[in-house]
Amino acid sequence: MKRLVAWFDERIPLQGLVEFLGKKYVPLHRGSVWYYFGGVSLFLFIVQVITGILLLLYYKGSEQLAWESIQFIMSKVRFGWLIRSIHTWAANLFMLTVFIHMFSVFFEKAYRKPRELTWLTGMGMLFLGMGFGFSGYLLPWNELAFFATKVGTDIAGVLPVIGKPLMIFLRGGEDVTGATLSRFFGFHVAVFPGLFTVLLGIHLILVQRQGMSEPPGSDAAPNRRVMPFFPNFLLRDLLLWLLVLNVLAILAVFFPSELGRKADAFASAPAGIRPEWYFLFMFQSLKYIPSQVLFMDGEVLGIMLFGIAGLLWMFVPFWDRKSSRGETNRVVNYIGLFVVLYIVLFTILGWVL
Amino acid sequence: MRAYRLIRPALVALVAALWGAAPGMAADECLRCHEDLGGMIPSLFKRDVHYAHGVTCAGCHGGDPTTNDMAKAMDTSAGFIGIPKGDAISTTCARCHSDTMRMKAFGSSLPLRQWEDLQASVHGKLSGVGAGSAIQCVTCHNAHGILRVQTPASPVSPLNLVKKCASCHSNAAFMRTFNPSLPVDQLDKYRTSVHGALNAKGDSKAAQCVSCHGSHAILRATDAKSRVNPVNLPATCATCHSNAVYMKAYGIPTDQFEKYANSVHGVALLQRHDEAAPACNDCHGNHGAAPPGVTSIANVCGTCHTLNAELFAGSPHKKVFDEQKLPECETCHGNHEVPTAEISMLGVSAETVCSTCHSESDNVRGFAAARTMRSLLDSLIAMEETARNLVDEAEQKGMEIGDAKFSLRNIRQARLETRTLLHAFSESRYRPVVEKGIVQAASVRSEAEEAIHEFYFRRIGLGASTLVITIIAICLWLLIRRIEKKGTLSDAARDG
Repeated sequence: MKRLVAWFDERIPLQGLVEFLGKKYVPLHRGSVWYYFGGVSLFLFIVQVITGILLLLYYKGSEQLAWESIQFIMSKVRFGWLIRSIHTWAANLFMLTVFIHMFSVFFEKAYRKPRELTWLTGMGMLFLGMGFGFSGYLLPWNELAFFATKVGTDIAGVLPVIGKPLMIFLRGGEDVTGATLSRFFGFHVAVFPGLFTVLLGIHLILVQRQGMSEPPGSDAAPNRRVMPFFPNFLLRDLLLWLLVLNVLAILAVFFPSELGRKADAFASAPAGIRPEWYFLFMFQSLKYIPSQVLFMDGEVLGIMLFGIAGLLWMFVPFWDRKSSRGETNRVVNYIGLFVVLYIVLFTILGWVL
Repeated sequence: MRAYRLIRPALVALVAALWGAAPGMAADECLRCHEDLGGMIPSLFKRDVHYAHGVTCAGCHGGDPTTNDMAKAMDTSAGFIGIPKGDAISTTCARCHSDTMRMKAFGSSLPLRQWEDLQASVHGKLSGVGAGSAIQCVTCHNAHGILRVQTPASPVSPLNLVKKCASCHSNAAFMRTFNPSLPVDQLDKYRTSVHGALNAKGDSKAAQCVSCHGSHAILRATDAKSRVNPVNLPATCATCHSNAVYMKAYGIPTDQFEKYANSVHGVALLQRHDEAAPACNDCHGNHGAAPPGVTSIANVCGTCHTLNAELFAGSPHKKVFDEQKLPECETCHGNHEVPTAEISMLGVSAETVCSTCHSESDNVRGFAAARTMRSLLDSLIAMEETARNLVDEAEQKGMEIGDAKFSLRNIRQARLETRTLLHAFSESRYRPVVEKGIVQAASVRSEAEEAIHEFYFRRIGLGASTLVITIIAICLWLLIRRIEKKGTLSDAARDG
């Protein structure tokens, strides 16, 4: 074993990495629990990659075969039902943990200098995660997915100037067809994973290089406590991953993914079309905006407001100067609190109404 | 009412005065002059119902009927319009016939929407070379010499009407200009019908064209509002055929509609509006309506139930039924009351149709065949039900069982085939179809059972994997505890 390690060490200087890990510490404070959500998100992403590759062995991304291939996976492939159900549930849990991770970073002001790039790459991954969800929702090519994609791409189409070309680009034509399925499949299994891997690599390297951020003020506290990253924090992470794996298995067995009826472009839209839950707050908000607000189309206004809000949120490290200086910025906290309440409230409204 | 009777002559005189000359007034100079000129018109008009009510030539043609100066009488400034053309003919009639007050003054009880109905009818909508409606009032009622419908000499009296309608509808060259696909043999067919025969004998109660199609408001049969649209037709026939008083003289039952409405055909057509289901005319004919004879019943039913008819024709029953002069389909299924063909019709128990002729001591071969066929069908139905229940159970458990669910259709298909094949009354032909269904049902059952088994396997598998993960998690937790017993480090310890 020692010889093997020495062989590798001669070629890749492992000693440096071991020393780095040995000296890596995780700060302990009242908000340390939030550190775990980054790790859980990473674990769920790994689950997605593995189950996604397994599904890819049988899935066929064409209008004629997509639904049938999923039906085959669910009924004929050994443990196919389990893999697909875990893939679906892990996707949902991933979005949940990513949101929690993002808000914890926001409220702990972990985005402040020098971690602006970590925040930006994280936001990039959040948007890609939403893209994964939106593109993956269509892949079973069932009625609900078909019409939800139609509605979703319709919303993109109302944007001024870029709306129509964007909608045609997303759909691969004027309507949601087999061409849309093909390109969503391409985005889902090639484009998004490639981009995500790059962002994830940068994100992880930055986290490792810069260490865990601590809330303003706590790094200067007397009797500051830390925990070794290796093995303490890593083992705790592993323990949590195991628990999440258990939850995934329970969800997959008791609430397996449904397939629904095959999409039919000529059928009337089924009742209860709605997007995945993490789009629901935006979808519901658009419903409440009047069709005409002053001189603007209500839907266009809504999308633009969400776009501006998203950009402001993304660039918070650059306009929240106070936090970067280590000062308390209550306004940012209130904004964050408002956003959380807004998302929770409108998601619930979208779900129950 | 009595007061109205008293003032009626005065009202008629008043309206006639307003509308032209009236009896008792100065002679109708138009009529007098035209009589002198000769021709048929004046004599026809003197028989006219309008003339009897005091309406003069000027009532329709305008002008001044009181002067014998032709220039003054036929002066357009005096309202003379000459011979109306196109829709002006009917609008001239409608000036009185659509006017409540005028018609009331004449003591008429005629409907007041005749012109409106005609305009909305198929005749009103088919424009004759751009000259308004295809037919005008005078097309059927004539222009001069118009008689009451009840008057035998009227061209639209019950006994003359068919000829009047046929004057256009039997003229292939004329009808081609409006609707080339419309048959022109209605009158010929009608003459072969029971209605036509009675009409020819002078029975004015027998149905003729307007009895079914209506008079002014005639619509295409494809129009949902038409009295002869398939969905409305049974009710149209029933207006006479369900009227016991009206039909008394003919000595035929009057419960056909009631029976039909509850039959498998009636429910399909009247309740589900399934126009594939037969209405009265599909079995009896429409213009040539007559009850099908014993020998033709199978042919009539066979127009829709083709396979059943073919199988029956090759079955052992065919010869026997012919010999005994039994109406083929009707013997087992009835005629107007045809019920849904249930499984209870087949077999040897008292309520079955087979037991009417077959018993253990009489026609024993048929008895044995009926018993075996019923037993086979019972087995298929039981297997199908079991398979369906298992598929439902697997589905309720959230299992993906689309293939098995689809195969259920094959079992149903086999069961439907047995319904048709039954008409061959041959056990050797019946058995393979039933067995095909039973094999399908067995396959679906096994697939559904496997899915249910898989459901429980998943739960056991989940229990086992949860146990393993939990044990690993506990071990990990113990390991963490052991490592952390040394306590977390302070900054100082870390740096030092």
